[in-house]
Amino acid sequence: MSAGPYNYSYIFKYIIIGDMGVGKSCLLHQFTEKKFMADCPHTIGVEFGTRIIEVSGQKIKLQIWDTAGQERFRAVTRSYYRGAAGALMVYDITRRSTYNHLSSWLTDTRNLTNPSTVIFLIGNKCDLEGQRDVTYEEASKFAEENGLLFVEASAKTGDNVEEAFLETAKKIYQSIQDGRLDLNAAESGVQHKPSQPGRTNLNGDQAGVKDNCAC
Amino acid sequence: MSDSTKQHVLSKRLNKILESRLENDQDTIEALRELSSFYTENTLQARRNLRSQIEKRNLEINRDFLTSFKAIKDSFEVVYNDIADMNKSVLEMTQQLRNAKAQTKNLLQKTSALQEEKSKVEFQQDLTKAVLLKFELQPEDLKLLYGEPHRKDNPITLETFKILDKIHETHSNCTVLMQAGMQTLALDIMEQMTLHQERVLEIVYRWTLSHCRNIDNVEFQEILAEAMRRLQERIVLFKYVIDEYCVCRRSYLVGEFLNALTKGGSSGNPAPIEMRAHDPQIYVTDMLVWINRAIPVEKQNLKLLVKSCNQSGLEELLNNALANICEGVCQPLRIRVEKILNVPTQPATLYAIVNMLRFYKKCINKVVSGGLLEETFVALLQKSERTFIETLQKQVNTLLVRVETPPRDLSPTHAILNLLAILRDMLSTASMSEGRETDMVKIAGTVMEPLFKAVNEQASRLPPTDMAVYLLNCMYSMYTCLSLHEFMETRLERLQAQSDAQIDTLTSEQASSLVANLSLGPIYTILQDHSHGPLSGVPGMEPSNLRNFLSKLDNLLSQPDSILLPQINLLASSKHKKAVQKRSFAVLLAIYKQLYEAVHNPENLYENPAEILSKTPDELSRIFE
Repeated sequence: MSAGPYNYSYIFKYIIIGDMGVGKSCLLHQFTEKKFMADCPHTIGVEFGTRIIEVSGQKIKLQIWDTAGQERFRAVTRSYYRGAAGALMVYDITRRSTYNHLSSWLTDTRNLTNPSTVIFLIGNKCDLEGQRDVTYEEASKFAEENGLLFVEASAKTGDNVEEAFLETAKKIYQSIQDGRLDLNAAESGVQHKPSQPGRTNLNGDQAGVKDNCAC
Repeated sequence: MSDSTKQHVLSKRLNKILESRLENDQDTIEALRELSSFYTENTLQARRNLRSQIEKRNLEINRDFLTSFKAIKDSFEVVYNDIADMNKSVLEMTQQLRNAKAQTKNLLQKTSALQEEKSKVEFQQDLTKAVLLKFELQPEDLKLLYGEPHRKDNPITLETFKILDKIHETHSNCTVLMQAGMQTLALDIMEQMTLHQERVLEIVYRWTLSHCRNIDNVEFQEILAEAMRRLQERIVLFKYVIDEYCVCRRSYLVGEFLNALTKGGSSGNPAPIEMRAHDPQIYVTDMLVWINRAIPVEKQNLKLLVKSCNQSGLEELLNNALANICEGVCQPLRIRVEKILNVPTQPATLYAIVNMLRFYKKCINKVVSGGLLEETFVALLQKSERTFIETLQKQVNTLLVRVETPPRDLSPTHAILNLLAILRDMLSTASMSEGRETDMVKIAGTVMEPLFKAVNEQASRLPPTDMAVYLLNCMYSMYTCLSLHEFMETRLERLQAQSDAQIDTLTSEQASSLVANLSLGPIYTILQDHSHGPLSGVPGMEPSNLRNFLSKLDNLLSQPDSILLPQINLLASSKHKKAVQKRSFAVLLAIYKQLYEAVHNPENLYENPAEILSKTPDELSRIFE
């Protein structure tokens, strides 16, 4: 097995939240695959994506949970807030209702995540300027009031998608550097050493047992 | 004196006579003997007459002599005349000879000139013969080449090629002629040879064209190989022959394939392949095995055909030819395999077919690459892979069509375990196949994605604790199933992360349940609030209340199982269970520690703090362990 995929120093956990149909899965797909998924099915429960990025010369693996927007999965998706270092809160600039629900999403996030979780507000579908229903200024003001980062992006064209994910990572990385984020806390959403998943994990455990025996 | 001298002379004479020894004088003896022949009587008479008689006799003898001599003289004269005559004749003859000689010399010169010419001519004749032998085809050769004029199909033999060689050689020899200055002749011969060559090649070409199909006949192999070698010089003809060969062999191969499919071997052994068409796996295998066996034979044959040819640059041509030959079997194979793929079949069987196609595609590709056969294989492979995944999807969807309520013990439902068993089987098969990585990832994706969705769907209908436990149990089953195989890292990572999230949920549920059971909630809230005065005075923080809490804690600690949520015991993985337990206790411990420190803080004015909270946090943590 090549060491390639594990060649990173941190794992950051992200969660993408927001109303149904605002384009959460498309944003994830655009970010991980650099492609636009035209007719994306409704997410059931959670979807998962990873990508390794670089921040200040450090390789960081992003583990991104793309949650279902449907209300009935709220119980399932809530489990994933807890361990998130970054939360991308998405609304659709062409549908006011999705914007209006932001405060309830924000409450949920604030309640379920730890205080150092970076929350990034994304107004998706900015390619559909003609159908705009929420102005940039309004959303920008909302973000400012609530201390959120904000950008308007398009999963279709890829505009600002990369930036949103990277900005969040930079912010988290900065928190680590400043010591505001306790890496040892289980809920920080950041792991320093990559825990190798899969069978390697089992092997690791066995190795641990052997070490104990040697003592 | 005179007297004495006379006397002396006389005496001398006398002496002489006396001294002369008559017996010694031959002449005297002869004379005396003669005398005795006629002086027979010693008488006076006789004495007196002696002289005359002697003289007479002398005369007579002389006369005799004369006569005799005369005769001799006559004879001599005759001889003389004769000789004179002879001399005359000889002279004449000499003259004549001399004349003749003079005349002959001319003739001789002429003769020798002629002779010289003759030998020259003879030499030239030899030369010409040699040249003709070398530069002309002999009648028997011609007969061999072009056969009897009335016969149309003249068989080609190895002799033909010898003559062809000769023609060729002659042709190249002409350059020597050319250098020797005989351009006209050389050009003539060259032209002639070229004509012959063309004609012979034409014949060879026609013959090869009609006989190339018989390559597996030993009788023809040599000749065909030789013919192909010759035809290689005429690349167009060569290609025509190869094309014709391909056409023949192609139809032969199709025929054989159809025979193997429908008739089987002679007297039904082996049985026709279609006899077992009801078993798709065997059916497809049999067909592929047949093709895999037949193609190398065709390659062998093709090689036999061109074995004497110059092999350089022939590879592509041969490969194309072989691909061409194999084209025939594509259609029947394709139709049959597609038919099988169109009938609903078990995914496992389809997967076996996919692997079979892959394997034989690789095998056959080693023998012949490109062409319709490869295309067919690629198409069939694509189709079978697609059908396999589609069928698998269908099976998964059928199994998951109904969203079952999870059982009361929160273990994965039957459908989920069933699907995981299918996945396990499929993955173990795939782990031994050729393109295992892509296959396994694809299979796992096909099964796991809908499975995940179904599990989430099921879980979303449960209360939070049940949901977390059910999800953890399902993910544990998935994890165990996938962790046995390679290339599942991404999925395992995801499962791991998802499990962690659910463990967090459970931990928080468990911790809050502990806090609630111990009525620790208000105490914790008060501890967080630093605005009020000494804690001992705050309602709810009285020592009695704290003792109450402590007794509850002791109570719990005596029955460790009772402090756990009932659902935690339903976790399938003891590791998960331990993690939840440990982490929820850690939460409890943290609060206790805060409380302990607060109680022991003199600012809070507790009396006998050691009595109120008898256990130090360290002691408590040891108990938890």
